[in-house]
Amino acid sequence: MSHHTPSPILRYVARPTVPFIQLYALYVLGHGEDGPGGGFQGGVIFAASIVLLALTEGWPYGRGQLKRGFTDALMPFGCLVYSGVGALCLLGGGAFLGYEALTTSLDPHVRNHMHHYGLMAIEAGVMITVTSSMLTLFFEMSRPEPGDPWELDEEDEAGGQHG
Amino acid sequence: MNHVYIAATVTVLFGVLVVLRRVILGPTVHDRILAVNVIGTKTIVLLALVGFLYGRPGFFLDIALAYALINFIATIAVLRYMERRAALRSRGAANLAEEDDQ
Repeated sequence: MSHHTPSPILRYVARPTVPFIQLYALYVLGHGEDGPGGGFQGGVIFAASIVLLALTEGWPYGRGQLKRGFTDALMPFGCLVYSGVGALCLLGGGAFLGYEALTTSLDPHVRNHMHHYGLMAIEAGVMITVTSSMLTLFFEMSRPEPGDPWELDEEDEAGGQHG
Repeated sequence: MNHVYIAATVTVLFGVLVVLRRVILGPTVHDRILAVNVIGTKTIVLLALVGFLYGRPGFFLDIALAYALINFIATIAVLRYMERRAALRSRGAANLAEEDDQ
């Protein structure tokens, strides 16, 4: 961070908005059924909040929030959640992603509820994968290069690589 | 009541046209970025108006909120890119000058 001093005005405007953007991302995830949105859109909005942090606080700070090893692990984890819920439905005797099979109850009210929970679980899996994929794309494409005014310090580079 | 919404929508659209002139003619890049940002702000109002016009304000206000957040980040990203490019250029010019001296 030594070469690069972000504008204080931008920092004080951008920093407080980040938690609100993240909260809105969760709202978009939760209301995917009866509003615009769902897992993909929520994930993109969540990733945008971290991109905003990286733009205003510098690349190393943004990457420090979600380290490379963490996002690399999250990408397959989201797929695992998705396919895991689908496989659980298979184990329950239903079709792949047939959420009603997740409960043994025959009460239509309970089965309807289970449908919502199953849908929410796979949407959360989609959101995790999309967020980490978007952040990986952004951080690897904007990685500072030698000779760049935004050049990394030695310890920042190490943290970005192995953290 | 619908007439009021339609009149307001047309007025805001006219405002977009006025600012679009600055996007096309804008002498500097900063004029264009500011104008595009103003169009983004007008688009948010436009989305809200269209939402009331179609009788589904909740749906459209969600889209308007998302648009507001993304638009803000995009403007910062473009400005960041320009700042970085200017810094790279000035550094490149300084290096060239040093080579000339030697």
